[in-house]
Amino acid sequence: MSALWAALAAVLDFAPPLLLAALGGVLSERAGVVNIGLEGMMRIGAFAAVTGAYYTGSAWAGIAFGALGGAAAAAVHALLSLRYRADQVVSGIALNLVALGLITFLLESVFGSAGVSPPVATLPRDRFGHSPLAYAALLAPLAMHFWLARTAAGLRVRAVGEHPRAAATLGVRVLPLRAACVLGSGALAGLGGAALSVGILGQFDSRMPAGAGFMALAAMVFGKWTPLGAGAAALFFAFADALQRQLSFSLRAADLHLEGVFLALPYALTLLVLAFGIGRTRAPAADGVPYEPEGR
Amino acid sequence: MRKRLFAAGAFWSAALAIAASLLVCLFAILATGKNPLVGYGYMIEGALGGLRPLGETGIKGAVLILTGLSVAVAFSVGLFNIGAEGQLIWGALAAAVVGRAVDLPGPLLVPLALLSAAAAGALWGLVPGLLKVSRGVHEVISTILLNWVAIHLVHGWLISGPLAARTGGEHISVAGTAPILAAAHLPRLLPDGRLDVGLPIALALALGVWAFFRHTSAGFEWRAVGSGAEAARAAGIPVGRRVCEAMAVAGALAGLAGGLIILGTEHRYPGVFRTGYGFDGIAVALVGGGAAPGVALAGLFFGAVRAGATRLQLVGIHPSFAELIQGLTVLLVAAPRLFAPLLARLRGAP
Repeated sequence: MSALWAALAAVLDFAPPLLLAALGGVLSERAGVVNIGLEGMMRIGAFAAVTGAYYTGSAWAGIAFGALGGAAAAAVHALLSLRYRADQVVSGIALNLVALGLITFLLESVFGSAGVSPPVATLPRDRFGHSPLAYAALLAPLAMHFWLARTAAGLRVRAVGEHPRAAATLGVRVLPLRAACVLGSGALAGLGGAALSVGILGQFDSRMPAGAGFMALAAMVFGKWTPLGAGAAALFFAFADALQRQLSFSLRAADLHLEGVFLALPYALTLLVLAFGIGRTRAPAADGVPYEPEGR
Repeated sequence: MRKRLFAAGAFWSAALAIAASLLVCLFAILATGKNPLVGYGYMIEGALGGLRPLGETGIKGAVLILTGLSVAVAFSVGLFNIGAEGQLIWGALAAAVVGRAVDLPGPLLVPLALLSAAAAGALWGLVPGLLKVSRGVHEVISTILLNWVAIHLVHGWLISGPLAARTGGEHISVAGTAPILAAAHLPRLLPDGRLDVGLPIALALALGVWAFFRHTSAGFEWRAVGSGAEAARAAGIPVGRRVCEAMAVAGALAGLAGGLIILGTEHRYPGVFRTGYGFDGIAVALVGGGAAPGVALAGLFFGAVRAGATRLQLVGIHPSFAELIQGLTVLLVAAPRLFAPLLARLRGAP
């Protein structure tokens, strides 16, 4: 029971990277661009954040660099999939592969180590041990929900994700708007990576983000491509992760070696919801469908 | 369905993409103040310079050919198999368990362990096929999720718990499962180096896949499903059945790749097993143009890159540089329109 309480208390530590990246996924896919590259964008963001914090000495500057790094990675995805009509899934996978090799290469070139970066400045924490970024991440799903549901810009985003041609006839410029959403998606994923490196660990680890980008993707699907749903799913997954860590501290659970079962749970649950879930689970209608302005 | 991934001139786009990627990486090494030509020299030496390096290229190439074929076979029915990694992991585990537990002479045990690996991969591959056909779950999402279910269940539970080797009583080994029997080791082909029968097996299967699509009516039906499910259904082809068959075969190929790694070089399911071969299979299939001969070539090429990259450490570059080369190549292959003007000019020239 104490493990349960400890896990609940730790959720706010584990959730921000997942929350931010899952919202990144929602933003891109609601605009109709599949983003399998969240993992790579998080990785690049996590590294950019640590590098920024290292050279400026400021954790907040590092966080900004993380968002910029994620957006830069997303720019490649946008350019390839929107301008050059690459398959969106392929482009995202390629981005993940590039991020894997490139960041290890840069880690070694910049910090002279293939394992971890030197420790950098960390964010200020309140008396509960949480950084302002954690609270901001908690509010982000509400903000994005309001923006998507209630503002004209949000309506345009949903329109190009559901029926781009109809949106175009109403004067929405489909490809620039999609590109903007992909960039925003990358910035959010990059922030998620920064929350992982500068926010939680205070340094970069060569294995980051160790699948968090894919878990964010699962949270997005579990949350039915909505900001509130994805946010709730990310919190739930973070809770499962925290509980798993708490249990592995207590001796008897460690003997059972059940960490993997807990870690597999979010993915298995997402699959079950997709296959047998109650209610309608579907991606935005034009998700992954390239848009040809000339209407071929 | 995803026909435009493999436009005409696939070979030249792939060659151009590889050349461009190597060029970009050359500048990346240059930017760090190291000598790229020396680095690439080491890579070539590490991949091709003698029996030992050739053996490394061969064993890595064999695994990449199989995961590449896995992705390519699923492509043929229009499905994107991102799950080769998970299928490979279950295959590797099955080979490690059978290779340890069944006491048979080598000529029987090796095929049995490899078949178990293929069967385990096939079962894991069948799941996204069934989910797609019966519940309409998109295979890209289901295979990604299944990868992580496999990774966590096998690495975070089975290998560290129930199946871990016990060293002296209660202690659990972090080295992975208990070693397989010597009879289960793949026979090696060369007096020097680690080249084993995995490569001939992979090449034979590439030939088999090629012949299947080229010369059998079943292969034709699979491709018909891939070109258009509705038209195929109208022509009386049982689309759902073909999709499931193709996913099972795709899983079997990836599972077999896992079996080769365990029986060929690891000789146990290791405690830390970060292969990435399943994800690399996507790269191999794409760069190989989705057809068996191209997949075999691309698999051998990236096998050589992987083998050669281990030598990059001599100039202070991490072996994961191979992933950078591979990822950039896929990025460039992924955008057929990037090279279209150049290719058109090349073709238009007299």
